[in-house]
Amino acid sequence: MALLELRNITAGYGQNIILKDFDLSVEKGEFVSLLGSSGCGKTTCLRMIAGFSEPMAGSILFDGKDYTHVPLHKRNFGFVFQSYALFPHLTVFDNVAFGLKMRKLDKAIIRKEVMHMLKVVDLEGFEQRFPREMSGGQRQRVALARALVIKPDLLMFDEPLSNLDAKLRVKMRVEIRRLQQEMGFTAIYVTHDQEECFAISDKVAIMNGGVIEQMDSPSEIYNHPKTEFIARFVGFENFFDLTRTGERAFTLPSGAQVNTRFDHAGACKGCIRPGDIAVYPAGADVPNAIAGRVQVCTFLGQRKQLNVATDIGEFVVSTDQSQVFSAGEAVTLSLAANKIIPID
Amino acid sequence: MKQKKNRIWLLLILPGTLFITVFMLIPLFSLCLTSFFPDQSFSFSSYLKLFGDVYFQQTFLRSIRLSLLSTLLCALLGYPTAYYISKHSRHKGVMMALAVFPMFTSPVVRSFSWMVILGKRGIVNNFLVWSGLFAKPQDLLYNEFSMTVGFVQLFLPQMILSLIGVMDNISDDLTLAAGNLGATRLGSFFHVVLPLSVSGLVTGSVLVFTGCMTAYTTPQLLGGADTRVLSTMVYQYAMSLRDWTQASVVAVVMIAVTMLISSLFSRISRKINPVA
Repeated sequence: MALLELRNITAGYGQNIILKDFDLSVEKGEFVSLLGSSGCGKTTCLRMIAGFSEPMAGSILFDGKDYTHVPLHKRNFGFVFQSYALFPHLTVFDNVAFGLKMRKLDKAIIRKEVMHMLKVVDLEGFEQRFPREMSGGQRQRVALARALVIKPDLLMFDEPLSNLDAKLRVKMRVEIRRLQQEMGFTAIYVTHDQEECFAISDKVAIMNGGVIEQMDSPSEIYNHPKTEFIARFVGFENFFDLTRTGERAFTLPSGAQVNTRFDHAGACKGCIRPGDIAVYPAGADVPNAIAGRVQVCTFLGQRKQLNVATDIGEFVVSTDQSQVFSAGEAVTLSLAANKIIPID
Repeated sequence: MKQKKNRIWLLLILPGTLFITVFMLIPLFSLCLTSFFPDQSFSFSSYLKLFGDVYFQQTFLRSIRLSLLSTLLCALLGYPTAYYISKHSRHKGVMMALAVFPMFTSPVVRSFSWMVILGKRGIVNNFLVWSGLFAKPQDLLYNEFSMTVGFVQLFLPQMILSLIGVMDNISDDLTLAAGNLGATRLGSFFHVVLPLSVSGLVTGSVLVFTGCMTAYTTPQLLGGADTRVLSTMVYQYAMSLRDWTQASVVAVVMIAVTMLISSLFSRISRKINPVA
């Protein structure tokens, strides 16, 4: 049974419904990311799990117990805020010790735990500093230590790296992943940065309009997107209809034959990334050929992007710098059979 | 280049500095001088005479007592109000306008209103007699009670405004973080909201205390002959007794006490929240 389960959740503010019939389940020890553009409901979802707000309908189960109406201070969950939310009037030590003090632990134990955690996040010697005397990355680590020191049953991150510069962001996400694997905590991570969440997570749930479109491992999402939305999200730019004619054989609406590595009863939609299409001079005898004419040629540094008009619409193709094509030139496109992916 | 820039800045602060020097610092200084030169030579005699006077001692203590009491009441009444307006109110603008509305009327008008309300035939006494709590109308006017009521009403908006200013800057994430770390609502109030709003409480208290110490109309109109405070005493010395030296001595004492207690407030604030 899953550690955390959200069932049929409806949530929002007043008339504004953000999540409807929302389900999510997280296994113990998993690092799950909620990925989506702003307004897709990912932060609403996270704050509800933390207990900052209650769902309008549905239930939250944690470890088999109903947590829907458990007040936030009774859930042993850690939360790392986008703004860090460090207490400005307390020193680093007191910030980290806050959760332990609320649990009324012995002073000596608090001291030991806090010092240990500060060592873990590499902030030894900073105990007496105030948050405003520290850099963004250091504050981030204080926030992390403060959330970790209470040994939370679940740790939540709300876009924790978005206020850091690009270099630090990469460093910190490796750090977070390392800590998670060392300590084995269960984590839910909210972000709008695809690279960040693919790098850090066991599973990624991509959200769109209050719904999880797909929840899978990063490589599964990258290689086998299930919907057009996800496919576009992970870099597929060419979409076309396929009609089955035989085993792993389809026709395009233009009549051209295409062989694939998958099979699908009846009709379906297929898609392919720009980099998985090869370009040849017109009339070349190549597998999965589509005839077209170059519309635009754009220089992208290492690669060149061609927009090619065909009978079944425009194809975006990414080619090697060495290949020279000019606008208006007739070409033949060859789709790599193993790179064509079916979507719903 | 830098020199030139500095001179332009000097020009900017010159008018204000001049005004304050001419109309405040110089008069204050001469006031101090007057108080130390009762008969053309330097002496503390005026001060010794004043502090030896039982009537002054009573007035002095009454001034401080009433000001402190009013400050405390303003804090107790203002804090929950400000907290509500800042954190829970949906119509913040309207609520704030209501809170500061009394500031639009003059203290004279307000004092007269209190006379109507608290008088022998005022609505408060009418209610007390009607409800049977008291057989006869009570003396609610011209005493420390009516003065305190007047002070609190006069300065409560200042307290509320300073508190709202500070509370608006306390992010909701901080209270959520406290709750998330295991603090109850009360716990997160005492550990987070209160320490972070202490600076507003102190600013408000300094404003209210200074206001009460220096207010003249309210104690003059709502106080009685035997409830003089320092400000009314200054007037009495200067205008009724024509004793300008004693008047200036009382004035200097007033300023000194106000500054002393204000700095005490700030010191307490720094103890509780060293960052603000």
